[in-house]
Amino acid sequence: MDLSGLNSYLSTLSHYLLAAVGLIAFMYGFYMFQRRIGIKREAATGRTLIVPWAAGFVIFVAFPVGASLYLSFTNYNLFKPPEWIGLQNYADMFKDKYFWPNLRLTLFHALLSVPLGLIFALSIASLLARNVRAMGFWRTLYYLPAVIPPIATILLWRWLLSPDQGLINTFLSPIYKLLNVQPLQWFTDANLVLPSFILMSLWGVFGANTIILLAALKGVSPELYEAAGIDGAGGWAKFRFVTIPMITPAMFYNVITSIIAALGIFTQSAFISAPADAGTFWNYNIYVQAFTFRKMGYASALGWFWLIIIGVLTLFVFRSSAAWVFYEGQQEKS
Amino acid sequence: MASVTTTTSNAPRFRALSESTEKRPTNRLGVAFTYGLLILGGLIILIPLFWMISTSLKTADQLFTYPPKWIPNPFAPENYTNVWSTLEGMSPQLSFVRVLANSLFITLLAMVGEIASAAIVAYGFARFQFRGRDTLFFIMLATTMLPGVLTQIPQFVMWRTLGLVGTFDPLTIGALFAWGPLYVFLMRQFFMTIPREVEEAAILDGANTLQIFYYIMLPLIRPVIFAIAVLSFQGNWNNFSAPLIYLTGQYDKYPLVLVIQFFQGSLSKEAPKWNLMMALSVMLAVPVLLLFARAQRYFIEGINVGAVKG
Repeated sequence: MDLSGLNSYLSTLSHYLLAAVGLIAFMYGFYMFQRRIGIKREAATGRTLIVPWAAGFVIFVAFPVGASLYLSFTNYNLFKPPEWIGLQNYADMFKDKYFWPNLRLTLFHALLSVPLGLIFALSIASLLARNVRAMGFWRTLYYLPAVIPPIATILLWRWLLSPDQGLINTFLSPIYKLLNVQPLQWFTDANLVLPSFILMSLWGVFGANTIILLAALKGVSPELYEAAGIDGAGGWAKFRFVTIPMITPAMFYNVITSIIAALGIFTQSAFISAPADAGTFWNYNIYVQAFTFRKMGYASALGWFWLIIIGVLTLFVFRSSAAWVFYEGQQEKS
Repeated sequence: MASVTTTTSNAPRFRALSESTEKRPTNRLGVAFTYGLLILGGLIILIPLFWMISTSLKTADQLFTYPPKWIPNPFAPENYTNVWSTLEGMSPQLSFVRVLANSLFITLLAMVGEIASAAIVAYGFARFQFRGRDTLFFIMLATTMLPGVLTQIPQFVMWRTLGLVGTFDPLTIGALFAWGPLYVFLMRQFFMTIPREVEEAAILDGANTLQIFYYIMLPLIRPVIFAIAVLSFQGNWNNFSAPLIYLTGQYDKYPLVLVIQFFQGSLSKEAPKWNLMMALSVMLAVPVLLLFARAQRYFIEGINVGAVKG
């Protein structure tokens, strides 16, 4: 390896160590300061220990969030100082002809792939919960896609869904012949982009969800099933009125995290170029606007719009949870 | 958040539940149905993975045959070296050793910072009473809901002001500031399961906070550190958006993910070299797979419990 490469490692390493030493020195000073002004040992120690997070929060979260709100009202290209333009960026956003395609793709992808993923995961998990043989093997197998790097998954599915020579179309070719139709064009057909992305996402996540739900299913107390059996409940009734209510907290957690993850999708669009009419994922568009076109202000406005969307959707799921999430030990209102 | 408090009450019962309390499916039809569906699901997972490996070992002329060839004949393991000579042909800095070193440097530095800072912060949140603690903890968890893109632009402006865009700094130094709230949360949960008597005994023996943390608490939470190390390695190894923003164009600093993006961008639309592409994908996946295989014992159990908890 040549020396110039070594230098770039050493320079980052020295900055890294400097930051670590600086952080520790600051923590020490902060502790001494608190003790000096008469704060009890326990409180002072606790506050000192959380300094790394608190400092990171101020530098890397709170300040940038505020700054991006400000930037969203400006015209800023990194080279000239930000120029205040009021709500212009937000107005431009709605006028952009790709506003609806992008919004549609990202939202529909999240709103379809999350419930579908949950249904698949729940069906497989309830099969596994029947104490099948070689449980460890099945669990590892179904967890496998979660361990494959997203980029590998994306490229693999692009190859599988390749219109002419992809494995999926090869599998389907007898059906195409039978029905006398053209092979599906997947990512290159604007109408099929959304289903293709959903297919890929389902493969990537449903196994991990299965494992999480399986743990919840295993946590349902057997006495409840016995009691339901005495009351004359059959297999389906037990599933519907015992299993489902008892695992709703795990499902709720799953829905929240899956929706946030789905709305944050980014990498897919960087590796798969679909027709522009079909839209790109929202976050990738932000990246393109900011770092390809250097429209930092406009990209910030897109980001704030997205924060509002995420907030509304999460709030909706939280609000609706009162109706469908069942917590043990909580009185049923009648 | 509500689920945190309520489902933890279920947690101890996981283990107590013996496998025999639930009935195995009894009728033959039910058994056949169960295993049939499980095998079908397993095939849906395995066939694409098998296809990835199989493609990576094919010569170019075997890619587009009909019917598809499951087992390459002849085998072309040289794809794994050819892809690197092709890359070096495009830019001499993209050598295997260099790219691997870049990826490992970024991943390991960020991982160490993440784990160390998360452990310290989690200990503070778990064990010490101070005013505002629960509010701060809530704020920390709430930040996981913030879309990353919102902070990315001002962060980029900050690093640019420091003249550090195009270096490894933005990908590693932030890790010292506990940038993974999830890890803090997981470690805090574990710290809270350790009985206080352990520390009280050490205090009586004259140990100070640092000594207790280092000699007593850290060894006790070793399983969760191990699990988080794997998660953190995976997260940083796979991280794509940060290298894309900070390192694009700096070929000498490319980690593997950027090399893959560069390679796929340079492929011709007419004859994509899917065999080389899949070879790169396999190389990206192997380190993570090996780590998970080694840590599986700590892993699937530990993370499940954590995930269901909260």
